Amino acid sequence: MREIIKNIKKYFPFIIYSTKSKLKSEVAGSYLNSLWWVLSPLCMMLIYMFVVVVVFKSKEPNLPVFVFIGLTLWDYFNRVLSSSPKLLKSNRNVVNKIYIPKYILLIIDTFVMLFKFFISLIIVLIFMIIFKIHFTFKMFYFIPIVIVLYLLTFGLSLIIMHYGVYFGDLHNIIRIILRFVFYFSGVFYNILLRVPEPFNKMLLTFNPIATLINESRNVLINNINPNFILIGIWFIISIILSIIGFRLIKKYENSYSKVM
Amino acid sequence: MKAISVKNVEVNYYTIKEESFSKRVLKRIKKKKFTALTNISFEVEEGSVIGIVGSNGSGKSTLLRTIANIFAPDKGEINLYGNSINLLSLGTGFDPELTGYENIFLSGMLLGFSKKFIKSKLNDIIDFSELGEFIYNPIKTYSSGMYSKLAFAIMAFLDSDILLIDEVLSVGDIHFQEKSYNKMLELIKNKKRTVLIVSHTTSTIAELCNEVIWIDKGHIKEIGKTEEVLKNYRSFMKTLKR
Repeated sequence: MREIIKNIKKYFPFIIYSTKSKLKSEVAGSYLNSLWWVLSPLCMMLIYMFVVVVVFKSKEPNLPVFVFIGLTLWDYFNRVLSSSPKLLKSNRNVVNKIYIPKYILLIIDTFVMLFKFFISLIIVLIFMIIFKIHFTFKMFYFIPIVIVLYLLTFGLSLIIMHYGVYFGDLHNIIRIILRFVFYFSGVFYNILLRVPEPFNKMLLTFNPIATLINESRNVLINNINPNFILIGIWFIISIILSIIGFRLIKKYENSYSKVM
Repeated sequence: MKAISVKNVEVNYYTIKEESFSKRVLKRIKKKKFTALTNISFEVEEGSVIGIVGSNGSGKSTLLRTIANIFAPDKGEINLYGNSINLLSLGTGFDPELTGYENIFLSGMLLGFSKKFIKSKLNDIIDFSELGEFIYNPIKTYSSGMYSKLAFAIMAFLDSDILLIDEVLSVGDIHFQEKSYNKMLELIKNKKRTVLIVSHTTSTIAELCNEVIWIDKGHIKEIGKTEEVLKNYRSFMKTLKR
C-alpha cells in the first residue's frame, strides 16, 4: 500500500502531463479544437433527449436534468471500462520499453475520462439552473457518490486490464456486458417507477451503476437523503476490488511484455 | 563500488501467446516453456563498460530487458544498488499528435525526470536535434529522419546512472550519424557511468569495453577481459559458419 502511494506520488507529474497531452492530442488538428470537449457531450445529451421525449414520450419532471445525470455517470463508467481490456496493448510503446507501474497507465486513462465527466457535470449544472432546481446542502452528498463511482470503476478496470493482456476476447465480452448493463441502469428512465416490483428494488441494490445514478438524482433533483448504507457497502466492495486489482497487477506486471 | 549484481537469474517464455478464452477452457493446452536465460550471475563495478556478445536468439536482449526491469526474472535476483537505469530506445512514449516540444516533456517525464530538469536540458536537446522551428510542429508531420533525430537527442541528454544499450545507434543523414555516434561514445566513456552494450559489431565492443560477457543459448559461456573473450568468440563463430 505504501509502495503504491509512493509510486503515485513519484509519477504524479507524468500522470498530469500525460493526461493533458492525451486530451490535447484528441482534439489536435480539428478546427473547433477544445470546443469539442463541450460540444461533444452536449450533442450526445441532446440526441438522447430527443429519443426520450419524442420517441418514448417520457413525462418525468425535470426530464433533461434527469437524463443528463444518468448519462454523465454512465459515460464515465462505460468509457473507462470499455477501454481497459486493451489499455496495456495500446500502450505497448511504453510497456515494452521501460518499467512503469501499470496502474499508472489506468490512472491516466481515468483522469482523461474524469475531465470529460466534470465538463459534462458543468452542463448538468447549467441545465439545473435553467430548470430552476433549488440548490440545497444535500447536493454535497453527491461528492461521496462520485468517489464511489471512481473507485468502483477503477477497481473493476484494474482487474479487467490484467486479464485483457491474456484474453483477446475480453474486449468484446466487456462491450456486450456493458451494453446489457446500460439498459438495466435506468440511464433514461426511472427504475423505481418503470420496473415492476420486486425487480426494481433488486436492480437498485445489486447493480451499482443503477444505485449510483438513482442516488445522484435523489440528492441533486429530489432533495432526498441518499441511502448511506447502500453507498457504504458499494464503497467497501470497490475498495476490495481495487486491492484485488493491485495485487494482480503487482504479481504479473513484469510478465506482460513477454506476451505482447 | 558495485553498480549491478545479477544472481542466478532465470527467465522463461511461454510459447502460447495470446489465446482465445474458449480454447483455453475447452482444450486446456499445456504451455510450453522456453528458457531464455538460465543460471546467469555476474557483477559490474561502477563506471565500467561491459560488452555482451552472442549469436542471434542467445538471450542478450532478454538479459538487458530483465536488468531494466521490463521483465521480472523467474528465478534469482538483480540488485542495482539504487542506481537509476534506462534501456536506451528511440521515442519512448511519443504521441504523434503532439509537438516535438511537448513530446520532449512527455518522454522525459516518463523516463522519470522532473519538469525542471527537462527544462534545464531543453535548449541542448533542441539544438542537438537540429529541428529549429519544426520543434513546434506535431511529430506526425516529421520525416523519419527528423523523428529519429529528436528521439536521439532526448535519449542522449536525459540519461541515467546505468545505461543499457542494445546496439550502438547512429541515426539520420551522414552528418548526423557521425554526430550521434560521437555523442554516444561520449555517453559511454563518461567515467561515472556504468554501461552495458549488446552488439554484433565486435570492433565496437573491442574499442569500448573493459570486459565482455559471452552468452550462448541462455548460458554464460565466458566472462572476462575483452581481448580474450572476443578472440574465443570470433573463432567460435567461424566454426559455426562451416
